[in-house]
Amino acid sequence: MALVKIFEGREEHIRQKGGDRDLPLACNNDSLAGAVSQRACVYSGARVVLNPVTDALHLVHGPIGCASYTWDIRGSSTSGPDLYKSSFSTDMKEIDVIFGGEKKLALALRELASRYHPPAVFVYSTCIVGVIGDDLGMVCRAASEELKIPVIPVRSEGFKGNKKEGYKAACNALMELIGSGSGDAPNKSPCTINLLGEYNVAGDLWSIKPYFEEMGINVAASLTGDSRVSEIQRAHLARLNLVQCSGSMTFLAKRMEEKYGIPYQRISFFGIEDMSSALRTAAGFFDRPEMTSKAEAIISREVARIKPQIEHHRSRVAGRLAAIYMGGAAKAVSLVKAFREIGMEVVIIGTQTGDRDDYKKISYLVRDGTVIIDDANPLELKELLVRQKADLLVAGVKERFLAYKLGIAFCDFNHDRTTTFEGYNGMVNFGREVDLTINSPVWRLPRERKPALNRSAGMPTEGSCPKATTGGNVNVEELCNS
Amino acid sequence: MSKSYATVNPCSMCMPMGMVLAFRGIEGAMPFFHGSQGCSTYMRLYLAHHFREPIDIASSALSEKGAVYGGSANLKQGLKNVIHGYSPKVIGVATTCLAETIGDDVQSIIREFQQEEPSARDLPIISVSTPSYAGSHEQGYGEAIKSIVQALASDCRPNGRQNVIIGSVISPADVRYIKDMLERFGCDYVLMPDISETFDAPLAADFPKIALGGTHLSKVREMAGSKGTITIGGSILKPEAGQWLEERFSIPHTALPLPIGLENTDLMVSKLEEATGLDMPERYETQRGRLLDAMVDVHKPLANVRVAVFGDSELVLGLSRLLTEVGMDPCLMATGLNSPAFAKEAGGISPGSRALYGVDFSDIQKEMAGLEVELMIGPSTGRQISQAELIPLVRVGLPNHDRFGASRQLVVGYEGAMRILDTVANTLIESR
Repeated sequence: MALVKIFEGREEHIRQKGGDRDLPLACNNDSLAGAVSQRACVYSGARVVLNPVTDALHLVHGPIGCASYTWDIRGSSTSGPDLYKSSFSTDMKEIDVIFGGEKKLALALRELASRYHPPAVFVYSTCIVGVIGDDLGMVCRAASEELKIPVIPVRSEGFKGNKKEGYKAACNALMELIGSGSGDAPNKSPCTINLLGEYNVAGDLWSIKPYFEEMGINVAASLTGDSRVSEIQRAHLARLNLVQCSGSMTFLAKRMEEKYGIPYQRISFFGIEDMSSALRTAAGFFDRPEMTSKAEAIISREVARIKPQIEHHRSRVAGRLAAIYMGGAAKAVSLVKAFREIGMEVVIIGTQTGDRDDYKKISYLVRDGTVIIDDANPLELKELLVRQKADLLVAGVKERFLAYKLGIAFCDFNHDRTTTFEGYNGMVNFGREVDLTINSPVWRLPRERKPALNRSAGMPTEGSCPKATTGGNVNVEELCNS
Repeated sequence: MSKSYATVNPCSMCMPMGMVLAFRGIEGAMPFFHGSQGCSTYMRLYLAHHFREPIDIASSALSEKGAVYGGSANLKQGLKNVIHGYSPKVIGVATTCLAETIGDDVQSIIREFQQEEPSARDLPIISVSTPSYAGSHEQGYGEAIKSIVQALASDCRPNGRQNVIIGSVISPADVRYIKDMLERFGCDYVLMPDISETFDAPLAADFPKIALGGTHLSKVREMAGSKGTITIGGSILKPEAGQWLEERFSIPHTALPLPIGLENTDLMVSKLEEATGLDMPERYETQRGRLLDAMVDVHKPLANVRVAVFGDSELVLGLSRLLTEVGMDPCLMATGLNSPAFAKEAGGISPGSRALYGVDFSDIQKEMAGLEVELMIGPSTGRQISQAELIPLVRVGLPNHDRFGASRQLVVGYEGAMRILDTVANTLIESR
């Protein structure tokens, strides 16, 4: 029996653990037309990965919409430059589509460089650029020579695959930047790492970086949250890459390993268990006893510190059921563990861009009966949330109002959230947010008003209370209370 | 205006966005983009942020293959799935820049589809040409309304009704106010597009796949038999739907500015009196008097206050008119819409003001320098300038991504004018 039967061709993307149909589920292919996928496009994938580079100029080569809808929508915070919070577009018009947009792009690059003096420019291609065939590489090379800064094309034509292709395009663009700096002294500290797939959403980075510093580890570059172009240019000097958002950044980690011999390890900074094991992973890599004992000291100190708060929230949410719908699988996996830390079980888990290995890992983690879904859409989510009796949905803005309309609590875990969720303090914030939304009195308000019992008291006309007359032998009071 | 080659911080959106705003005002309508998946997702996100409602927009999710060999198969499959999944009463298909550039003939693909697919035979599927590079969301909105009316309005048996077309994007609360007034007038009317419920839905036990509300299809069909049309919000945007009804069915058409402020509201009311032969209901006389009273109350703190008003063209013109009525100075009026008519109209409202059209926020910020602006009024996209220049921003219009209540913000009518003036006065007091 199919779990949810709304769209033909989606059956293979939905599985129930322990159900009569086995994994693997279908994934990593084009979204079904007309199904209202929650995914965006290649451009969006590239944009979310690169946008947090704070001092770069991000120029969207295409019609205005692509720039409008991505202007300052990512909650990545900065400790300094804020050029990334502006939206730059070549605003292509009909005439550019007919005669080509290369000239306008070249002129726009010159104009923007002289106005903003960025250390580097990322030029994103959009659908239309791919169709009319502007030679982005050529324009960027020429501009780079003329302006004496890296001008890097991002091959993100919207239709050339899904969001994941965009991650790849972004990683390729980052590879062009890495190692391109000139005259930089090699980094002195032998214990230097990069954090890949850390976007400093709501200041996440700042809640975890101090722990590494305390352990004597220097974070050379965070890719890309709160990063500077110059830091990324020196990222090849690090000894280790810690990869958090693996969906977006594993590709870069592999390329850096090939080219610069930097090994990488997957970690997550979300949840007590994952945060602690991230610190142990880093310490283990450098293999110094004093660093390992420092890591253990930090872990026991911090876990003890937050325990009372976690226990408090746990006591208020334990036993409730969660649904997870994330862009990337890494976050989804961390969430399952974090929910367990506050006593909650996961009944639905889905992602936009998970691959076969991701879903295997997810399936191993969740308990029997949990529904696993790839590239979901609103109708499927709606049906599943009701059927699986979820008390809470963790997802992004598009899904927020779906949950609300169903009367289900919601926690925003996407790139426009405003609360830090990483690190030990982040876990406390997460527990608090889950607690306050699940236990809010708004869910207990009566959906339907009880009609007045004595409506006919003022004017005693027989049958003036419709409910009293329609039910035959039914007691009025019973009816109104039901 | 600006001779820049790059747009910095856009003050407009693209055409398909306007199409969604129009179609969501039609009963049972499902908006559909023929293009890449991202367009639909981005605009869903943008609108969900603003209205705080779930927004579903389907997509033909064109891939590389579609872009090379044509998107017909995707479009047909997408339509079939939407019909199956959402049971819409009408589907609006907007082209995107991708579909337009690869040259898909959307209308004939739809015709073919309707011949092949029994479930689609009697379903209106309306295509709207909205290549993003050809105009802004305001033009896409107008284009969609025209397409809806042209596709559906066909029943020209006289019905004595008044057509009221919302020609420029206003909030659900604004539409509710106008509907309420029409009801109280006791006139038989059809208002379209009606987003009063669809973008501001109650939380109810049942959560429908397509938001309830919107103009009934039968009523749109019968617009061809109405006795007159008023387009509200058509002073510079071309009110093409109303004009078409006039040309095709000889239905007299009047285009009015948005009823923002005392005089613009008076204008709408007297037009309604004229059209219906009925007097304005008494309660609005009282409301009008209360507005005058409120205007007198705030006239001193607001006198000569220099304001930058920006955003959608008709909204900027209406708000500026209201500001001048209480002695404020809309010294800068700016819109992203590329329309010289805007500057002309703005000049009539406030002769000494700077009027900018087709601009972005970098132009607006540049122009503001030296104007000693004390207040900004417009969408939340003005917040960066507001923060940088320490000038308070009263959020009006789309988008409002960082405050609550965008769906319930009333700007039109006597009541809306009061609320805006109170907000403006209180914001200034807070900031001083």
